[in-house]
Amino acid sequence: MSTLVAPVPANAPRWPALIPPLLIAIPVVLKLTGIPLANAWIIFALLFGLMLTGMPISISLGLTVLTYLFTMTTVPIESVALKLFTGIERFEIMAIPFFILAGNFLTHGGVARRMIAFASSMVGHWHGGLALAGVMACALFAAVSGSSPATVVAIGSIILPAMIKQGFPARFGAGVITTSGALGILIPPSIVMVMYAVATNTSVGALFIAGIIPGLILATLLGLTTWWRARKFNYPRQPVATWRERVATFRKAIWGLFLIVVVIGGIYSGIFTPTEAAAMSAVYAFFVAVFVYKDMTLKQVPKVLLDSANMAAMLLYIITNAVMFSYLMTSEQIPQELAAWMLDKGLGAVAFLLFVNVVLLLAGNVMEPSSIVLIMAPIMFPVAMKLGIDPVHFGIMMVVNMEVGMCHPPVGLNLYVASGIARMGITELTIAVWPWLLTMLVFLIMVTYMPIMSLWLPKMLGMM
Amino acid sequence: MNFLNHLEERLIAFLMGAATLLIFVAVLHRYAAGMAIPGVQDALLKIDLSWAQELCIYMFVWMAKFGAAYGVRTGIHVGVDVMINRLPGATRKAYVLFGLLAGATFTAIVGTLGATFTWDIAHTSSTSPDLEIPKWIVYLCIPLGSYLMCFRFLQVAWQFARTGELPHHDVAHVEGIEAPAAINPYNLPDNLHPADASGAGRK
Repeated sequence: MSTLVAPVPANAPRWPALIPPLLIAIPVVLKLTGIPLANAWIIFALLFGLMLTGMPISISLGLTVLTYLFTMTTVPIESVALKLFTGIERFEIMAIPFFILAGNFLTHGGVARRMIAFASSMVGHWHGGLALAGVMACALFAAVSGSSPATVVAIGSIILPAMIKQGFPARFGAGVITTSGALGILIPPSIVMVMYAVATNTSVGALFIAGIIPGLILATLLGLTTWWRARKFNYPRQPVATWRERVATFRKAIWGLFLIVVVIGGIYSGIFTPTEAAAMSAVYAFFVAVFVYKDMTLKQVPKVLLDSANMAAMLLYIITNAVMFSYLMTSEQIPQELAAWMLDKGLGAVAFLLFVNVVLLLAGNVMEPSSIVLIMAPIMFPVAMKLGIDPVHFGIMMVVNMEVGMCHPPVGLNLYVASGIARMGITELTIAVWPWLLTMLVFLIMVTYMPIMSLWLPKMLGMM
Repeated sequence: MNFLNHLEERLIAFLMGAATLLIFVAVLHRYAAGMAIPGVQDALLKIDLSWAQELCIYMFVWMAKFGAAYGVRTGIHVGVDVMINRLPGATRKAYVLFGLLAGATFTAIVGTLGATFTWDIAHTSSTSPDLEIPKWIVYLCIPLGSYLMCFRFLQVAWQFARTGELPHHDVAHVEGIEAPAAINPYNLPDNLHPADASGAGRK
């Protein structure tokens, strides 16, 4: 396997090791010796310093706040601690554990096979055959399971060997699956969207509905890229499936897909609140997995509950600390100062959105989506509001950004999960993904500067 | 120790399942009570489930606190490890230990703040709005969960100092998929990805 960065000799002295302690120590020392330094710089230096040591993100957020409070302010610690204890006591936040549970019930190889069978009966006879089916199956599976890496593994492990057997180059298949696997966080139900809604008090329902059209467009664009390259290199196609086959595979896949209908339909028609819809979808997913698909026995249910609780607790723990962090940001007036600075410099919405995209893409390389949204949204959202950007549009843009970050070299999570199943080095995979990655970047620019793409549907349905 | 592990696992799995069922039943009840079925409707209307949301929140808060402690044991709490993964073995080990001990410190502080907070509340007559249970019982999860988490951080740090092994959470595990190859993602021969501190797989 090849590497992107040449390994450094084992005993060479390395200055990067000194960055975290310096970042942590300098602001504290400066402040204590009485040299004036803007609070924003102190907070961010502390946060970056702690994060770079590799400690959990939740802990670095919490420690930043505690260090700042203990050494630099007279704000009573109890008022901040109260945030730490009561920060997650909101019913909207509880949609997250429910959606994770629903996704985990249906994150199963059997469900992936049904999605692939349905997708390849529908689009398998076009140019790109199985690869095109892979894009569609990824979009369907990702929407139901909600996890990008799990989608890459589930769809990739099944479809990649089949593609190579048919004569596709391994790189082509790996490129398709790595990028399509990221579709899940844009197509509702999406946990990252709930995170954004929680951090900015935006409506979950409007965000979900707003994600539908961009999600479909991105899936189409990735499919077109696949189709175009497959036609150019004349890759194998599947025989046309009969309508009887299509109906048969659809009837097997529909049980899983109906989960999206339960969530979106339930929220839109007002039958459920988003959190209730999440709970209903979890019960529905349990029913389908155990009694309809029979992929899972009742004995395995406690294991799914435990794994979901583990994942949910991790995210809730980040939320708890992020709430405290954003409370500190607000009480130190940092977003307001940033907004004033941007307006003062005459930077408009266009420049601001560009800036946001670059920052998020950089962050996307080192952190997972939920943490980025929880840390960045409270800082950037007030500025976006001042500049007159629509909250829902801003949210969709952030989510698309997170998607690109998942497949962006050098360390996008999807890349390295795919490198495992495709048995391909990161460097080779980086070359393999570029046509689709480029498509995603173009799509990101479209979403950023064409608010109508995300806002048309929710506006038409009267959700905002 | 085994008993504590089992208790922790059972508790969070139970809270997860029970909260789901609770909301499911509450929603069904709301709609069933709206239907004009003679006899049944009156019986349903007599059952008051308005406390369901509140109970669900408290169950998940308890699940979050104890689940976070369990998560330390399973290695699910992720950090930004791009930089430290590029450092030589000994320096990296020092950073990992620093991170774990910082986690222990933070949770110990939060646990102590939480204990004081709970103690103060226990001396008031504050109760929750719908269920009307004393608030200190609700907040008891903060000291208990945080101290447990602190203990887990120390446990992992101790194990790491002795053997150089960290718990790993496998993000890419899917039921019903046979592992396509014996690739250990923590053993990739490059310096970009998380690896065991023993340096296995590094060249």
